[in-house]
Amino acid sequence: MSDEIRKNHDMTTAETSQIKPGTIAPNASISRKLKEFYDAVQEEGIPDRFLDLLERLEAAENAQKANAKAVDAK
Amino acid sequence: MSAQAESTKADADDRVFKRDLLASLPNLRAFAVSLTGRHDKADDLVQDTIMKAWANQKSFTAGTNMRAWLFTILRNEFYSQMRKRGREVQDSDGLFSERFSVHPEQYGRLDLQDFRQALDKLPEDQREAIVLVGAAGFAYEEAAEICGCAVGTIKSRVSRARTRLQELLGVSGESDYGPDAGDAAITARAFGS
Repeated sequence: MSDEIRKNHDMTTAETSQIKPGTIAPNASISRKLKEFYDAVQEEGIPDRFLDLLERLEAAENAQKANAKAVDAK
Repeated sequence: MSAQAESTKADADDRVFKRDLLASLPNLRAFAVSLTGRHDKADDLVQDTIMKAWANQKSFTAGTNMRAWLFTILRNEFYSQMRKRGREVQDSDGLFSERFSVHPEQYGRLDLQDFRQALDKLPEDQREAIVLVGAAGFAYEEAAEICGCAVGTIKSRVSRARTRLQELLGVSGESDYGPDAGDAAITARAFGS
């Protein structure tokens, strides 16, 4: 292969792969898997126990506020 | 501001707080699962975090990053519980084998189980770094704030985590995911490495 042709060949290869082998490509696969794993958990939504908990916390807070208002009003 | 207006504003703040807390929960929970490696422990941790966040909502500045605030609470809670358990955590081999033999159905989709096990083998600091930056959607700067360390530390932890995951998952690089071996050699030369 002449230098000229090799240079062209190298450039084409570099352009099509765009990345240094052994670094970005496996990272992309790791990143994708990590994202898939994480998103799978996120997509499970919010378990009822947390919705119940928030409702109870809110109810307790409202009761406390109502109490405080009643005391203020006196 | 009148007392009336003040209390109306406080009510509105409360509603926003609860709405944002709810919106953050799926992400927060995924972080908890990543840290603990199991759903039951993760949900206990999320519950503790909700209680703490609720009790401390006055310390949250409205309009700032609630997600980062919640993640910080959950992370602190996780490490303080780990410290309390002490010895149990030191027995990490036993913990792993128990995790993966008793309730395999808890670990979600089959094709992700290998990944999950690999993630679980990372040291905590590397695992949280790669999860915060690579999955939870935080910038390096935010992740550094959540973990209470320097940005550079987060970057190097993420990088070490990636390398370790590649080793654990047997991702060799070009043969599986990149250009074929011949191309790889040429590409490497083109990049002078």
